[in-house]
Amino acid sequence: MTDILTLVFRTLSSQTGQNKDPSAGPPPPAPHSNTLVVGEHRLSRSVLLLAAVTAASELGVRVAFFAQTQIQSLPECLQRCSKITFSYPRTLEELLQQVASLHEFPCPPSLIIIDRLDGFLRGAVASSHAGFHSGDESRAAHLAALLCDTAAFLTEVLEKRGSSSAPCRTIASFLSDADSGQESRDPSAMDPILDVLDRYFQARCTLDQDRSYEAAAAAAQEAWHVYLSGTKIPDDLEDGPTLAQEWKLFIFPEGLMEFKLV
Amino acid sequence: MVAPYWLMKSGSARNKKLCGKNADIFTCSSRTTFPRHPENIRRDDAKLKFVFGTCALQALDLVDQRSVTCLSSPSGRKAFQVIGGSGRLYTCFLSCHYCPCPAFTYTVLRRNQGLLCKHILAVYLCQAMAVTQQESISDQQMSAVLSGTGGP
Repeated sequence: MTDILTLVFRTLSSQTGQNKDPSAGPPPPAPHSNTLVVGEHRLSRSVLLLAAVTAASELGVRVAFFAQTQIQSLPECLQRCSKITFSYPRTLEELLQQVASLHEFPCPPSLIIIDRLDGFLRGAVASSHAGFHSGDESRAAHLAALLCDTAAFLTEVLEKRGSSSAPCRTIASFLSDADSGQESRDPSAMDPILDVLDRYFQARCTLDQDRSYEAAAAAAQEAWHVYLSGTKIPDDLEDGPTLAQEWKLFIFPEGLMEFKLV
Repeated sequence: MVAPYWLMKSGSARNKKLCGKNADIFTCSSRTTFPRHPENIRRDDAKLKFVFGTCALQALDLVDQRSVTCLSSPSGRKAFQVIGGSGRLYTCFLSCHYCPCPAFTYTVLRRNQGLLCKHILAVYLCQAMAVTQQESISDQQMSAVLSGTGGP
């Protein structure tokens, strides 16, 4: 999945002083990787939408986009795009049912996107308390494992059909309690749900806001660090090379986004 | 079940002379090898227990009871169902480790003290020993099984 994200970043990178050589930087991990986007919701949703559009337009693949809340300001071009299907399951159970039923579709997607895993998982808790509780690890593992298994199955289906859309990839966004700014939580404590998700998502895209003067220096409204990390699926018991890419994202007042490879 | 990267068919059959040249060897991440031949799996209970702990013997009990079923649907989708000791059904996936049992949640996910539970190990052993039950279900039933909302 990071191959699609890398394509997004390169497509939106500046022309000036930017090496457009596709081989620039370390190679992305095998496209069979599932990627978890960790960071602030507004930006992670934008990254997911960009990934969906890029996959549908540049790669010509079908995309299944799941979100708990309807995207109000969806561009008209996206609404008309027949290759992207938007679904809005309200609960974790509905999401599980919809993902589990993807194998029934005659034309399966090659990219499965889940926006705000934390919203689905947190909403499954019966308690009125905020945050995650015991038992949530199992629910998180179930959803993540179902996504992995579904992607693996759909990859087989697409490969058997000789489709150029193979493999099927998965990308999901997640915001941990620590990053959501909950003051009651110990900032040094690990997020148990993120630990569980890391077992099933081989690659991670971390969005970290740059609060220095770099944004102002670039005449941008916001500046973000974008870190791509993860490992290739080992082959023959040999560890694959570790993925490590860093990009800088500038967001300008007009809403324009520009990526720069660091 | 597709073996994960840590349990791969070894290219170098270090122990093939112990179990016959036609036996398949699987190597796990601890670099311990154990042969795939059904006879040798029972003789290597001690090796299984060394690698997987007490759940190895519990898994072998499930194998003896023929507790593992491979469900398949017309779309080609598959999943494993294991009948636990209490009679409860647990659904496991082909391509990655997950089990809804409390032991998987506590020992594997929370405490990180194991790689799998007895149900997942029983699936691997049944596959290796070719004693997995087979059952066909509809695509809709398969979706219910996978989502955890129902089952055959």
